[in-house]
Amino acid sequence: MCYQCINYLRTKNYIPPFSIFILFIVVNYTFVPNPILDSYSFTSIMLFFLMGWFTITVFHTEEEGQKVITILHSKGQSAYNRSLFIVCVAIAFCLSTVSVIYPTLIGAFSEPPSVLHLLMGFLSHFSLSVLAIALSAIFTRELIRDRQNTWWGVLSILIIAVVIATLKNVILQVKGLIWLLPPVHLVLEMMSSDDSLKYIPTVFYWQFAWIFIYSMLWIGLFFFFLRHKRKW
Amino acid sequence: MNTIIELQNISKQYKGKKVLENISLSVYAHQIVALVGKNGSGKSTLLKIIGGLAHPDAGVIDKHLPSLNIGYVPEVTPSQILFTPQEYLYHMGTISGMSRKQLQQRIDYLLTIFNMQEARHTRIVHFSKGMKQKIMIMQAMLEERNLLILDEPLSGLDAKAQSDLEDTLASLKDNGLSILLTCHETKLLENLVDRVLVIQNGQVSQTNPLHDTENHQNRVIFEISSLKSLEELLPFIEIQQQRSLNNDIKELIVTVKQEDTNTLLLALLHQNASIKQLLPTNRKKEEFYTHF
Ligand SMILES: Nc1ncnc2c1ncn2[C@@H]1O[C@H](COP(=O)(O)OP(=O)(O)OP(=O)(O)O)[C@@H](O)[C@H]1O
Ligand SMILES: [Mg+2]
Repeated sequence: MCYQCINYLRTKNYIPPFSIFILFIVVNYTFVPNPILDSYSFTSIMLFFLMGWFTITVFHTEEEGQKVITILHSKGQSAYNRSLFIVCVAIAFCLSTVSVIYPTLIGAFSEPPSVLHLLMGFLSHFSLSVLAIALSAIFTRELIRDRQNTWWGVLSILIIAVVIATLKNVILQVKGLIWLLPPVHLVLEMMSSDDSLKYIPTVFYWQFAWIFIYSMLWIGLFFFFLRHKRKW
Repeated sequence: MNTIIELQNISKQYKGKKVLENISLSVYAHQIVALVGKNGSGKSTLLKIIGGLAHPDAGVIDKHLPSLNIGYVPEVTPSQILFTPQEYLYHMGTISGMSRKQLQQRIDYLLTIFNMQEARHTRIVHFSKGMKQKIMIMQAMLEERNLLILDEPLSGLDAKAQSDLEDTLASLKDNGLSILLTCHETKLLENLVDRVLVIQNGQVSQTNPLHDTENHQNRVIFEISSLKSLEELLPFIEIQQQRSLNNDIKELIVTVKQEDTNTLLLALLHQNASIKQLLPTNRKKEEFYTHF
């Protein structure tokens, strides 16, 4: 795992998405003051897309030949892929923290955000990032042969996930469907709450929890496909 | 001889195309076995099955040692390893769960027997192909191994790197390792290998033309002015090539059996022929090599 981290850092594949991330954050907060939850909501969506990019690069860090060797050493491809997921989640954690802390440090908000705001902000970034990792991993080379398809697949599923959020009313007409689709809309709704929020409603915790559970289900699906790959 | 691993009736097909059919073979302790065959004949597939990277469709693999430990070196060497040998081997060992101290000792040992101590702290990307290949073998040997599987270890290496690697492999064998490798390199077969298996149309057969002395022949190249004088020698020789040089002198390339060589040479000298070259050849071996 440590190896995966160092190897990833040395490939320098992270530079393009990382610079875009920094650029977005900086540009987004050039003009002060900003509304707190609205800004967080925007950067969460941005991070959602960038995490797709990070995930692909992490999963494709090693060359095929090296991958065979590493899997041999790690005694099984599940252990191998688990470490890749951990690297992704670690990146998600760091970037979420940065996106929440940076604007507070430079005082980009009209009023200093409370702990409640910070918590909401962090949860929204982190939950969307984890969701992006889970959705993107399905399209990496483990399961999809063609590299072209990986990029298209990730891009389209991420876009679809966001579009769903706006089409929610249409989708609600088909009962139960909303539970199958990526719950990006939950974050957007929660984050459109007013900044004067005094406490976090319990339902918010459940919604965040659902996003994590939903992501876990996709990751579970990933490992399931991995094990049954031969039949595909 | 101690069998360490035995394959029985292994079959494998890809998308309905049979690659291996009912293959049975054994690998013995302290032997280097070469697997040869045309491109696409299934060499890599067989090695992957033995190494446990692919599952056969049918057949069993019998390990005769309770703790048979197989190291596998894949055919494609990764070209971009962003670590130094020390770091790379250390990471790979850590991933396999070796303890730090044991691992460090092993790395020191491997760097010594592979003669790579000076390159210890140079990044592998800057290495030559031969050195990269050594690193690949070293990573497969981090843990104690009984059998080493090498898929085309010599391809792409120049003569010097090849013979360097051959020496290393020979010393590994002396240390008690069995090695199973594929190769196209004919030179390797003679110097290093104990047994050659040919894989063809999904079948493995054992040939051993290399140690068979019956077919030893010599090839003689000489110049002579009159072909007529050769007539009495014709029963002994087989003319392979003849061409005319200037002023009626002809150059001939003939082969002759080992035991007739002296007679031929004596006769030729009597006829004022001038002998240019005398080389031992092995016809069967040549036929064998033209397979690849
Ligand atoms: N993963 C795979 N999917 C489909 N077909 C495969 C796969 N791996 C190998 N094959 C087929 O099996 C056959 C044998 O391949 P293999 O790589 O074992 O040959 P080889 O003897 O190692 O060849 P080379 O000398 O080129 O290394 C080939 O015809 C190849 O097309
Ligand atoms: Mg091969």
